[in-house]
Amino acid sequence: MTGVVSGGWGFVWAAYAITGGALLIYGVMLITRLRDEWSRAAGEGSGQ
Amino acid sequence: MLEIANNRFPRTPYYLMGIGVVLLLVGSYYGLFVAPPERYMGEVQRIMYVHVPTAWNALLAITFAFVCAIAFLMRSDFKWDARMEAAIEVGVLLAFLLCVQGAIWAKPTWGVWWDWDPRLTTTAVLLFAFLGILALRRFVDDPVKRGIWSAVATIIAYVDVPIVYFSVRWWNSLHQLQSSPDTVSSQFHLPLRVNAFGVLFLMTGFIMLRARLASLRHVSEVAPPPMLAEEAGEMA
Repeated sequence: MTGVVSGGWGFVWAAYAITGGALLIYGVMLITRLRDEWSRAAGEGSGQ
Repeated sequence: MLEIANNRFPRTPYYLMGIGVVLLLVGSYYGLFVAPPERYMGEVQRIMYVHVPTAWNALLAITFAFVCAIAFLMRSDFKWDARMEAAIEVGVLLAFLLCVQGAIWAKPTWGVWWDWDPRLTTTAVLLFAFLGILALRRFVDDPVKRGIWSAVATIIAYVDVPIVYFSVRWWNSLHQLQSSPDTVSSQFHLPLRVNAFGVLFLMTGFIMLRARLASLRHVSEVAPPPMLAEEAGEMA
């Protein structure tokens, strides 16, 4: 027992991958939701 | 509101998100491959470069939601309601990531994924309080009641933010003190700052886009059905 954490790259990659993945998925979903809402609003505006 | 809605694909949020992604890539590269490992935590400490910027920006997003809630109650302008909804949603996302990153960092350093430590507990309370406000907004159909109730709930829930921030000073905590230039070695400053600005730009872009989505939904909610609008036009 040295009191020093050894290794741990797996934890580091997990933290970065989850963060990057979640931000990417949220960004894509946000853009998709916005485009869908625009299409719907445009459809309602033209009386369709 | 209509001015916001008519500008279909604003470029500013996309630029901000692009800058945020570039900064995050640069900061993460520096944090993962260039900065030295910490003396006691070794490589695991590199989680700090994503965990601390997430924490700062989560609290910033919630603080912006609090400001929007007050502005909405004072001015009754739905653009503030849209901004509040956007800031809460992005703040909840960041708070959730904060808890997940914290759990991943806790396992190799504390030996457990989770502990009912004051900092962790108050952060979990923050996450679920604002998640509850998002749920409240889903269940209320009347835009005025929805705006007022969620603004009041946001102001009440915001009380937890200073408690989260100062919890590590007020109580005995496993969690380290707030990260600042005084508590972090100078070799760790650059990736921390670059990633902090990266998350800030990305978060701002997200909030702007999400607020636009909320504004569009509000416009379609309050607009009369096409048939009624035509009849009103004929009567006039």
